[in-house]
Amino acid sequence: MSEEAPRQDLVRRRSLADAWWSLVAIAVAMLFFFPIYWAVSTSLRRPADTFTVSGVGIPWVHFTPTLDNWLLEMSQPESFRAFTNSTVISLSAVTIALLLGLPAAYALARFKFFRVPNKDITVWFLSQRVLPPVATAVPFFIAFSTLELLDTRLALIVCTATFILPFVVVIVRQTFFDLPIELEEAALVDGASYLSAFLRVAVPLAMPAIAAAALIMFAFSWNEYLFAVILTIKGAATMPVHIAGGADTRGVQFWFVAVRSLIAMIPPVLLALLAQRYIVRGLTLGAVKG
Amino acid sequence: MRIGKTLLCGAAAVALGMSGALAGEYVDWLDDGRVVLKLGPNYDNATIETTREELGGLFGPDEKPFEGATITVLTLDSGPKGGISGPITAFRPVWEELSGGKLDIALVPITDLYAKMMLDLRQGTGLYDSIIVGAFFYGDLIAGNYIVPIDDYMASGDFPQWTYDSMPPSLKNLHTWKGVGYGVLNDADGQVLYYRRDALTNPEHQAAFKAEYGYDLPVPPATWQQLLDISRYFAGKNWDANDPDPDHGTVLHLKVGEQGHYHFQSLSAPFAITPGDKVDQFHNVYWFDPTNMKPLINSPGHVAALEFLQELHKTGPAAQVGWSLGEAWDYFLRGKSVFVFSWGDVGSLCQDTSRSKIQGNCAAAILPSSDKYWNHETQAWVETDSPQKVGNTTGGSWHGVISAFSQNPEATYSFLSLMAIKPVSIWNANNGWTGVDPGFYYQFLEPQGEATLDDYVKAGWNADDVKDYLQAYYENFTAPTMLTYLRIEGAPEYWDIMDKNLSAAMAGQKTAQQALDDTAKTWEEITERLGRDKILQQYQDAIGYQP
Amino acid sequence: MIRWTSRVKFLFLLPAVLWVLTFTIFPLGYSIYLSFHNVERQVVVSGREQVPVLDAAGNPVLRPDGKPRTRTEVQRELQTTFTWNQFANYARAFRDEQVWNAVRVTGTFVLVGVTTQILLGLALAWLFNRNIVARGFLRSIMILPIFATPIAIGYLFFTIFYEVGGPLSWTGVPWLSNPNWALTSVIIVDIWQWTPFCFLVFLAALQGIPDEMLESARLDTSSEWDLWRYVILPMLLPVIAIVLLLRLAEALKLFDIVATLTKGGPGIATQSYTYYAFNVGFKLNDFGYASAMAFLLLIVVMVIVTLFFRRLRQSYE
Repeated sequence: MSEEAPRQDLVRRRSLADAWWSLVAIAVAMLFFFPIYWAVSTSLRRPADTFTVSGVGIPWVHFTPTLDNWLLEMSQPESFRAFTNSTVISLSAVTIALLLGLPAAYALARFKFFRVPNKDITVWFLSQRVLPPVATAVPFFIAFSTLELLDTRLALIVCTATFILPFVVVIVRQTFFDLPIELEEAALVDGASYLSAFLRVAVPLAMPAIAAAALIMFAFSWNEYLFAVILTIKGAATMPVHIAGGADTRGVQFWFVAVRSLIAMIPPVLLALLAQRYIVRGLTLGAVKG
Repeated sequence: MRIGKTLLCGAAAVALGMSGALAGEYVDWLDDGRVVLKLGPNYDNATIETTREELGGLFGPDEKPFEGATITVLTLDSGPKGGISGPITAFRPVWEELSGGKLDIALVPITDLYAKMMLDLRQGTGLYDSIIVGAFFYGDLIAGNYIVPIDDYMASGDFPQWTYDSMPPSLKNLHTWKGVGYGVLNDADGQVLYYRRDALTNPEHQAAFKAEYGYDLPVPPATWQQLLDISRYFAGKNWDANDPDPDHGTVLHLKVGEQGHYHFQSLSAPFAITPGDKVDQFHNVYWFDPTNMKPLINSPGHVAALEFLQELHKTGPAAQVGWSLGEAWDYFLRGKSVFVFSWGDVGSLCQDTSRSKIQGNCAAAILPSSDKYWNHETQAWVETDSPQKVGNTTGGSWHGVISAFSQNPEATYSFLSLMAIKPVSIWNANNGWTGVDPGFYYQFLEPQGEATLDDYVKAGWNADDVKDYLQAYYENFTAPTMLTYLRIEGAPEYWDIMDKNLSAAMAGQKTAQQALDDTAKTWEEITERLGRDKILQQYQDAIGYQP
Repeated sequence: MIRWTSRVKFLFLLPAVLWVLTFTIFPLGYSIYLSFHNVERQVVVSGREQVPVLDAAGNPVLRPDGKPRTRTEVQRELQTTFTWNQFANYARAFRDEQVWNAVRVTGTFVLVGVTTQILLGLALAWLFNRNIVARGFLRSIMILPIFATPIAIGYLFFTIFYEVGGPLSWTGVPWLSNPNWALTSVIIVDIWQWTPFCFLVFLAALQGIPDEMLESARLDTSSEWDLWRYVILPMLLPVIAIVLLLRLAEALKLFDIVATLTKGGPGIATQSYTYYAFNVGFKLNDFGYASAMAFLLLIVVMVIVTLFFRRLRQSYE
């Protein structure tokens, strides 16, 4: 899993203090893991046991687990549809963001813009990320309802692509910038076009950063709720909307919410674990390399 | 969440089908004029019997009157077997077979329903042919001319037959505006009191109660003041054997942004309403002075009621300030509190043994009254020995209306009215999971209504529980004095700020007086912003005030 | 000859710029426009008529009795009028107690939450930088919260903070029923989700410090504290600044957790700015006022970004 080799200066023999600190670290990790464990535990309980389980709700010890919630939830077409919607929307938005963002990142790293300096353009892209979503939510809603695109995946894809675009521009720009320019120049001298220098030389070399950007964009698209709840009704509802919909005339059905939450967590968490070494770069918009 | 097996089974339907009549997948047309609606395997093959006459002129064995039409119904989402959205889903294939049309159901969480509906209507997108509305949406719907009157459809005889006459006047008011019909019968909401029969009738507790409070423990309590005494008596004692911990008096669902303010509405009604023969400036009004839209919400009657609610809250778990319906009901169902006052759902949930430990001990009654009320005319308290029962239609009474943008209003009405015919309505009330709570005359037991105890018991009800339950609702909807319903433009906004202030009062951030004064102040601002004359006119129309 | 100033650069850059302009600047402009206007919408149904129902081929569909089937066609018109209202929405915002309360709630949330996350993040980075067992595995576990869906986390923590028998009920703390504790609970959830982010970044930065530098610093001081105080922290400062900016920007948007954990309550004790503005717009349908509130928030965010601007430009040099 972790690939950072123990650093030479720290590879002293594990001292007694480190053993103690290891215990602390384990305790901390358990603390952070507890809520996720709790979701698993809740999802395995009968609805009546949601609030009454004793202790920390260990299956078989504190209650008899059942898979009913999972089976019932999996049998609902809505769950399947929400999962599919989330997948299609997130993947499409990431694809659009990459198609638009990679050339822009390249342009900012390699070409020189005069009227507006490159770094200002970069920061402008970045500032889109800080934009409060409520500011654009109303006009987005009006625009999409005028175009009769409410409750379509397209509306959410367009919307999401816009808000994740800064990630790819800012993250990958830095990597392009750090690549040795000579390789592309050599390709250009050999008669390649700018486009093929970009596609055949720069992009393959920047793959780690692109992966970092894609990962983080995927996670943000997947978890986005505010726009999803405004722009969808049911047909294009995503997982977060589906989870929030766990409340009905009789209150919140926590047992289903737990199942849905866990299902929703699986794709981004899996991706994150697979691409662990890119996370830091992604999360800090390329400012810190992991 | 099913509470038992439903009525007839598939075998009966098959037998009927072999009698030579026309049998479809979801509808059997019998030769003697009877028609059997079949809900299919997803709903335990339940069947409902009606007649050709009752289904109206358009539907028939060879008719597909709405072939090619697609209609969309917007409703709150509780899933295909949950409240309100469940029966709509269940009857979809029946209607599709009858009409030849197609029904789309747009489901949204209950908290988003108003917003989604208004966005569609205000933008004129016309996504929905029908919306299953709560009665507090009417002010906006009428003001914007967004919904279609249905009186002509009802009178034409073409559509499934039902009538407003089966509703007590209190409920009929919610479905109509100035005498014109808009809403199609479906659900009836109101809060009643649920109490633990075993605890209140326990001789030991009765004796101890009398010793402590000096009077016989009344079952059920007739006034809120008595209820508070009983709550206090039971709070902190372990009177329920389901767990070893002490139990509570009254459990409330007070979470902000949910339905906590309804508690205050129904509880405060007997404190704050001055009973009278008709609606005038001082009598039978609750929200505003109907001559000038000045808020009444901070009248001494309202304030005293809120202070009372704060006292009552102390007999329940402190955590309930953050609880919504589900958690509070769950607490009562687990046997942790002696009282809860809430909607009809509790009565049916009591029967669901996967969540309830109190089936058979889940008694119900109309909400208590108060031994004093505020007289708005004399501006003084009136103490009374014979408190008048005050009923309420608190809640949504979720039912269908037809959007003015519908391109298929006839098809839409044919679906809504199919859900409103008597046998369907009775079936819905029998089966608690439908979330359709009783309120129409025929759903009550004879002699008040036409239903039999047997229908309910077959659907899984405990006989004692359901007798109480139906009696409670009958008394509630036919009470001499009713809490008027706020049906004006912007009602959700008026309620939103009230809800927040009530929550602050219950959490101890504000005094009762302060919370209601703040509410009144903001209400004045809202009224000014929306236009006082316009709102005043709507308010008068809504409560039937004649200047 | 290679010219890195070639006009082809615009072909690379413009699609993204145009896309972002179209989908953010335009809506933003419209939002500002809305905030200065009263919007009256009225839908006028100008007519209804019976038209024959046609089948796919365009022929009228007949009833069994031979008459054509009809349906109602509705002519409708949406009339929208915008009236310039000067600064009414903004004036209202400044008078609105709920706005000031939301500012206070959001401010407390951001200050307490982000500060705690950064301090905890540093402490954890220090801890995980030691020679502890199963570091890679534990670090993987710490990543999970970052990717959990916030809307789900709200519900999840509701069951955790459940005061009558929940896993934290032994503390006797009124997690969600007391106004002050409720805000604390919201902050705790955010700390749970985002401390791992700070931690990961700091750990990465820490491990990026060249060994030689640490070795030589160790020769000067034997105190771990001094080492951090005078050597490591100054080196981490740029990273801390970035993390601070990113967290501030996200924390100001606080919405999802409140929406499912507390609904802004009790009272309005946890009603964040975004949650309030969203509800004004999308629950109460007051687009003009919601836009005005959103625009005010935008100004605040812009001020913060500008404060960090210099720092930011340097990292993107």
